[in-house]
Amino acid sequence: MAKKQILSLIILVFLFFICLLLCLFYKLDIHNKELILSYIRIPSIIKAIISGSCLAIAGMFLQTISKNPLADPYLTGLSAGAGFGIVISILLFNSINYSLFGFLGAIITAFLVILLSGFSKFSITKLILIGLSLNLFTGAIISFLILKNPDKSYEMTLILTGGFSSSEIFDNFLIALFILSIIICSIFIPKLNALRLDNKLIFKNQSTANKYNIIFVILAAFLTSISVYSAGILGFVGIICPLLSKLIFGNDIRLLFFTNILLGSYLLLFSNFISTNIIYPLQIPLGIVISIVGVPFFIFFLLKKGGILNN
Amino acid sequence: MGSNGTGKSTLLKIITGNIKTDIQIENSFKNIFYLPQNPYYPSSITTFDYLSSIFFKNNWKWFISNEEKEKINNILMKIGLYDKKNISIENLSGGEIQKINIALGLISDADILLLDEPASNMDLNNQVNILKLLKNLTYNNITSVIIMHDLSLALKYGDNFIGITKENKIIQKDSQEFFSMENLKKIFNMDFEIIKGQNNTYVQIID
Repeated sequence: MAKKQILSLIILVFLFFICLLLCLFYKLDIHNKELILSYIRIPSIIKAIISGSCLAIAGMFLQTISKNPLADPYLTGLSAGAGFGIVISILLFNSINYSLFGFLGAIITAFLVILLSGFSKFSITKLILIGLSLNLFTGAIISFLILKNPDKSYEMTLILTGGFSSSEIFDNFLIALFILSIIICSIFIPKLNALRLDNKLIFKNQSTANKYNIIFVILAAFLTSISVYSAGILGFVGIICPLLSKLIFGNDIRLLFFTNILLGSYLLLFSNFISTNIIYPLQIPLGIVISIVGVPFFIFFLLKKGGILNN
Repeated sequence: MGSNGTGKSTLLKIITGNIKTDIQIENSFKNIFYLPQNPYYPSSITTFDYLSSIFFKNNWKWFISNEEKEKINNILMKIGLYDKKNISIENLSGGEIQKINIALGLISDADILLLDEPASNMDLNNQVNILKLLKNLTYNNITSVIIMHDLSLALKYGDNFIGITKENKIIQKDSQEFFSMENLKKIFNMDFEIIKGQNNTYVQIID
């Protein structure tokens, strides 16, 4: 590891902890300290960390195996599938507990995308195109449903922008899922280093490469559904974090795994902090803040070091 | 060898299974390495990291062993790129990238290398070095199948030749029989003069 990378890593960890402390203790009311911490701030921090790192890792998986910097959970239709599940749950069950339906929606979409791309003649380009069309299709249906039900349209639009405010989630279950997924990922991560090479370079036969591609798509779907389960649909995180960490830290997936976790959760923690505090007591929807915070930062790095992405 | 568009690359793709056909292929080789003409490489990756990718293919460990590092260093030394091991691969020249990709095949434990015009961007000196390296491998029972257009180099380093004619017929012979005026006329539709020296055979184009 070069000196520059170590320095960037230290800065990232430092920023992460500052943000964590800010989110925990900024303008904390002394009288209800424990109540606020344990019921509002800590759960939302946990959700931010979980959804941020899951989206970032899922984005890294999809970008590495597709060798396409545009691939992310949002574009491959996983998030839209989750959104569809959420809207259905609001319409049919009148419930705010949308996360479980989001989870189901993401999983179903993931399998639909993989199934339509075909197990035997699996190709990455097909996967992205099918994901993109499914994304547009479900997006259209969601917009239609929102127009059709004006009495619940505010609720649905708000939920589609994502956030950590829903408190009806079993945090322990979520944490268990997250830890499980991290353990599974860390088993498979070194393999991803080999998938940096051209798919056509074969060493045994073509099917082994495709087998790992499919495994990583399923893992990405699993991670996205965890993220949707915890915080609803958040676009942009899944595409910006893997690219940004690639720009800063180079190309070793083993290192990028950790930096993605840090960067993803940092971005969401910071956005969460701004969305809850900047025009207090109003809350800005998280998706809006992520775009406002993330896009200038991202474009700055792209202009500075973007030559790397030209191939 | 053969003219453009006669199906040389297609043949390799059929052998590797990249193009699906009904042809049954009997394979007596354990590991195949296939190098397409312009393989994808990730941006901003150093030469060393690029070569190390291959060692993550068949096992589950997080770090590559010292032996494998040694192997990469050795191969870089052999192809003369050791001093560029920490340079991003996109900053290398076309010929150097081709050398790196061949090195990938050499450390991949493959016992057959299928190379699609591996030396087309290299200078003469490097072409000869790479072909010598590949020739030496044959003494360790590693076969190389190379698509190439340079007749004199092919004649110098090849053992067996497959030519594809314009009519998509295949001529397969060893070097003595392959380089005859009739065969070359069939393949390239040009006239050649074959000069047999004491130890070597030479090919000369006749206008």
